[in-house]
Amino acid sequence: MIEIRGLSKAYRGQDGSQVQALADVDLTVRDNEFLTVLGPSGCGKTTMLKMIAGLIPWDEGSIAIDGVEVDGPGPERAMVFQNFALLPWATVLDNVAFGLEMRGVGKAERHERARELVTTVGLAGFETKRPGELSGGMQQRVGLARALAVQPKVLLMDEPFGAVDEQTRRLLQEELLAIWEHNRVTVVFITHSMEEAVLLGDRVVLMSARPGQISEIVDVPLERPRSSDVGGLERSSEYSEITAHLWERLREMHAEHGRVGGIAS
Amino acid sequence: MTATVPARTPERTSESPVPPRRRDRRPAWVRALDSTTAYQLLGFALFAVAWQLYGTYWGGLLVPTFTETVLAVGDLVVDPEFWSAFAVSNQALVLGFLAAVVLGVPLGLLLGRFPVAERLSNVYLNILLVTPMAAIIPLLVMSVGFGLASRVILVTIFAIVMVVVNVRSGVRQVDPALLQMARSFGASERQTWMRVLIPGALPSIMTGIRLGLGRAVTGMVIVELLMVSVALGGLILNYRSRFDGAHLYATIVLILIEALVLIGAARWLESRLAPWAVNQRKNG
Ligand SMILES: Nc1ncnc2c1ncn2[C@@H]1O[C@H](COP(=O)(O)OP(=O)(O)OP(=O)(O)O)[C@@H](O)[C@H]1O
Ligand SMILES: [Mg+2]
Repeated sequence: MIEIRGLSKAYRGQDGSQVQALADVDLTVRDNEFLTVLGPSGCGKTTMLKMIAGLIPWDEGSIAIDGVEVDGPGPERAMVFQNFALLPWATVLDNVAFGLEMRGVGKAERHERARELVTTVGLAGFETKRPGELSGGMQQRVGLARALAVQPKVLLMDEPFGAVDEQTRRLLQEELLAIWEHNRVTVVFITHSMEEAVLLGDRVVLMSARPGQISEIVDVPLERPRSSDVGGLERSSEYSEITAHLWERLREMHAEHGRVGGIAS
Repeated sequence: MTATVPARTPERTSESPVPPRRRDRRPAWVRALDSTTAYQLLGFALFAVAWQLYGTYWGGLLVPTFTETVLAVGDLVVDPEFWSAFAVSNQALVLGFLAAVVLGVPLGLLLGRFPVAERLSNVYLNILLVTPMAAIIPLLVMSVGFGLASRVILVTIFAIVMVVVNVRSGVRQVDPALLQMARSFGASERQTWMRVLIPGALPSIMTGIRLGLGRAVTGMVIVELLMVSVALGGLILNYRSRFDGAHLYATIVLILIEALVLIGAARWLESRLAPWAVNQRKNG
């Protein structure tokens, strides 16, 4: 369980101005839950996720994972980055094995595990390629495999499929669902896409900007497993109800703030 | 997660990897003519002809023709006196250049990683960058004398700035997202250096070494011309005083050839050590 209490963060600009990125955020992520976070650009989604990852400090409040205060990165968490963050000089296999290597796992063992994960994400045969030789979708599979390789309890994903084309994104969503349905870790998944948030999530956290706050948490009672029939899911009435509701809320936010950042879809 | 997840077959992957470069279907002789080498040869031929004409009609005493120079090069490469001068000069080059790399790379790495170190040293680096190096020579001679030591030191000073500045910017340009990624997977400072910073900076390190090499050759010649007329510099001065233009030019040509060979070797090493960077340059 991830417990976020009263989390606040202000960035100071170079000109002395302040941006309140997060203001008094409370959020509980349940064990083995797939939580999606949706909100306009600049509402502090990345900021919040990186705080959970232990990558950036905050001003006030607390984050605890299974009762232990977050103080820097930890082995029970792994992150998938929006821009993949792959080492361009390393092979697919070495990239996937990176987290294991940092933990001191020996070469033979980490390559064996990495090979399994390369297969899991559908990249068998590409082990010795370098990221520059892969398409965006394939690169993010590497990013996903790298995170899975360290067997995290919490998977943190920051718009992981934001940088790939629509069809690839759909494939990746299905595959992520299939992998997750097999092994339900806790996932915090940030997205710009309403459809994606609903398709993947058990709950959708809707955030608003200036200051970044949680405006609503929407349950998604769609049946699981969802990986087999994502298309059918999208035609169900429940799905349309939820997206309609989310859209309504986002429209209200737009009215309040005069803009809807970069909500894609 | 565990390995029990069903394996996805590659067929599910609709995206294909980056397509290979289209094959060139023109006939071999057209391709050969269109290659960079062909253009370089053409350029060189034009240059040689122009030189020959100039040397023949307007050259005067000190400008030999192209053919005279080529003949003189032939003379020199079988002249033991030239080779002993060459060896003496290269002693300073090798030692000075090695010192520049051994000192310059770690220094550049530190400066790139730690802003404080950078602020402390910036002034000195800038001074080194803008000072006309020739001005340092009298200083060196006064404090170290005319020996090998001051030639080595001068070569080092010439070369090290290029090394430090390039390595430093290489470290600074390492994608911060990669550093953050490494941190998120619990990388220690040592691991961050070995797995992210140094490989990330490697292309710039190699560039710095290559540019430093060019500067080292310059330093080697200048110090001999201006400080003590020994070795190759001594030869050049000697030929000048004898108005032997052909041999003077030939000496310079041979120094140029050495520099080109060394830099070519550095380039080759660069492409072996950091192939991804070379690819990036080609594609982008
Ligand atoms: N390093 C930083 N320095 C100053 N301001 C920052 C910094 N990082 C983020 N901000 C500001 O904080 C706010 C929240 O940023 P954040 O990146 O968390 O938003 P986001 O919801 O992830 O946006 P997006 O959907 O565009 O990725 C934004 O207004 C942004 O300009
Ligand atoms: Mg973001």
